[in-house]
Amino acid sequence: MSRARPARSAAVFLLPFCVLFTACFIAPIGYALYQSLLKSQRSGPLGFGREREVFAGLGNYTHALQDGRFLQGFGRVLLFGAVQVPVMIVGATVLALLLESASARWVPFFRTAYFLPYGVPGVVASILWGFLYVPGISPVVDTLHRVGWDVDFLSNGTVLWSIANIATWEFTGYNMLVLIAQLTSVPGELYEAAVIDGASAWQVAWRIKLPLIRPALVLTTVFSIIGTLQLFSEPLVLRSLTSNIDAAYTPNLLAYNEAFAANNYHLAAAMAVLLAVVACVLSFGFLRLVGRTGKGDER
Amino acid sequence: MTGGMPRRTLLGSTAAAGLAAALAGCSSDSGGGEGSAGSRRKGEKITLTFWTWVPGIDACVALWNKQNPDVQVKVEKVSPTNGAQYAKMHAALKAKNAPDLAQIEYQMVPSFLLDQGLVDLSKYGAGEHKDKFVGWQWQQSVFGDGVFAIPQDSGPMGMFYRSDLFDKWGIEPPATWAEYERAATKVRAKGAWIATFPPMAGGWFTGLAWQAGAHWFDTKGDTWIVDMTGQETRRVCDFWEGLVRGKLVKTEPDRQNAWYSDLQSGRIVTWVGAQWGNALLSGNAPGTAGKWRVAPMPQWDKGGKASANWGGSTTALMSGTKYPKDALAFAVWLNSAPESVALLPKAGVGWPAARAGSANPALDRPDDFFGGQKYNSVFAGTEQGVNTSWRWGPMMDATFQHLGDELTAAINGKGSFADALARVQRRTVDDLKAKGLKVETRT
Repeated sequence: MSRARPARSAAVFLLPFCVLFTACFIAPIGYALYQSLLKSQRSGPLGFGREREVFAGLGNYTHALQDGRFLQGFGRVLLFGAVQVPVMIVGATVLALLLESASARWVPFFRTAYFLPYGVPGVVASILWGFLYVPGISPVVDTLHRVGWDVDFLSNGTVLWSIANIATWEFTGYNMLVLIAQLTSVPGELYEAAVIDGASAWQVAWRIKLPLIRPALVLTTVFSIIGTLQLFSEPLVLRSLTSNIDAAYTPNLLAYNEAFAANNYHLAAAMAVLLAVVACVLSFGFLRLVGRTGKGDER
Repeated sequence: MTGGMPRRTLLGSTAAAGLAAALAGCSSDSGGGEGSAGSRRKGEKITLTFWTWVPGIDACVALWNKQNPDVQVKVEKVSPTNGAQYAKMHAALKAKNAPDLAQIEYQMVPSFLLDQGLVDLSKYGAGEHKDKFVGWQWQQSVFGDGVFAIPQDSGPMGMFYRSDLFDKWGIEPPATWAEYERAATKVRAKGAWIATFPPMAGGWFTGLAWQAGAHWFDTKGDTWIVDMTGQETRRVCDFWEGLVRGKLVKTEPDRQNAWYSDLQSGRIVTWVGAQWGNALLSGNAPGTAGKWRVAPMPQWDKGGKASANWGGSTTALMSGTKYPKDALAFAVWLNSAPESVALLPKAGVGWPAARAGSANPALDRPDDFFGGQKYNSVFAGTEQGVNTSWRWGPMMDATFQHLGDELTAAINGKGSFADALARVQRRTVDDLKAKGLKVETRT
């Protein structure tokens, strides 16, 4: 009897989460899975007659996997991630260590300044950077042109890295903040002990701080991998500024275009499911990888 | 130590995003469900929603609302960038919360028919209004016995050019495409470009093929016929590929900031565009006022008068509207009533589809931006040269995407422009088959 009451109050507290989680997470995924197994069939003159949805089995999945553009999009975001994620995480770590070092000045100001880009919505950030990339508008391109260096940030070869630059600008500060939060939770005695033992600032950073913020590093890396695979708003916005971003530039963009330009919701659903599967495999794969090598540190 | 934290944060943000989307979905308050009688009860006050992107259409709608206190029309603006408005409409149809009325370009009408998205207006007596509109524009929305939209405007194509620079450099404005190519060389020698070749502007490239006499889509019984590789299209491909490979044209997107900047500064000196482009030029290159003139499109045959149509839209009724009769009355009034048509050119629409509209005094006025030229008289002439047997395919938004992707690939070295069109045709046929349509290519 005394056990029943906590159970009931726990249920009351859990209910709002469960309802929202089911309505906004489980249900849409279930619906997408269901849609991905259907296809449209049309009849009547020129197909303008009746439309019926029929079971298609895994037809949409094989179609998606045979679409070279879909696979190329994956290749592109993987290349993007392989370069951009390490650069950003290293950058965030360096900034966090600098701001948490003993000699740092103006810490609140710089912390806010670095974090600020994260407060700018991705679409707005892309528009802002777009203006800095477009020749004839951009002061950067103009200035470089004047000193004799012609750069095209939107060419076939460079546009991916221009997008990487936007993503790095947006998220480095956010990741830095996560790392700082973990750094501040490290007990000060550890540093004192290290200094007494004669450790240099370098050694403190390398042998104490970095190992202790490992969980935060893993967390930010996993988030970044997921974010990379979901790359969408930056290419969507820059697409109107350059013809070198096609409708299938990233898997997410292709799924969007299949759904809303080609009106093939079923194929788009299949692509979205495949994208989610790849994101899961990569995220859990990374966790497995660091979990295995990191066993020693976490006793 | 990492424990539940990453997962909780991830789920939290996902749930929040989902909730926001759900709220956004609810905020649209247009009527769904089929109306039984097709009209309102006598004296009942109703509000119709109308999705459009025409900047100044509010003036016409305000006039209607004043004259029709019982049938109020509420304008909701949608973004026309990269087809975003159609994505929104298709999604709204799927979610069964579409507006009563929507602005839809001619080439998009068939794709909405595939979605069962439009009301057949012939059931509500649209046929009696047929004579109020230019014949071929009316026909663009007729399929079988059904009438699926009321035409609003078209975009007869012509050539805008900087007459001051052509004079200064001693170059004749080109009347044929061969002269256009020679002029391109001369303009390039002066450090400017004659134009840009915007690979993403599907409607523009289609217009060029249309002018050359291509028929990309046709129907035979129940079957769609696709022909994007005919010799007319190939001619257009080869011509522009020559200009691009010879570095005689830029390849930046049109109607974007970089292009406007080039127009403003005189780095680009012509635009083979449509009648509605006058507002884009005067709005985005104000510094060049008085220096532009309009000429007919360059011709393939000397002395020819062939033109094409780029853009132009209709007002359509979306399925699910409860009051089709009232909505149709508004659509017809908007596009044919003299007091509304008089306001349309200022609102930012193109060449009026109403027969009475072509004689509109607002269109027959000398324009200071074009140095006092009555430039619309040029378009009145080219409108006569539009090949009116052109038909649009059932999924032009996807076809335009393919066109942009493949032409870009070709510019970046993947085969010729004609190869690109062959790939576009193949992908378009795949799309149609995936939609369950019967399709053939012309061999």
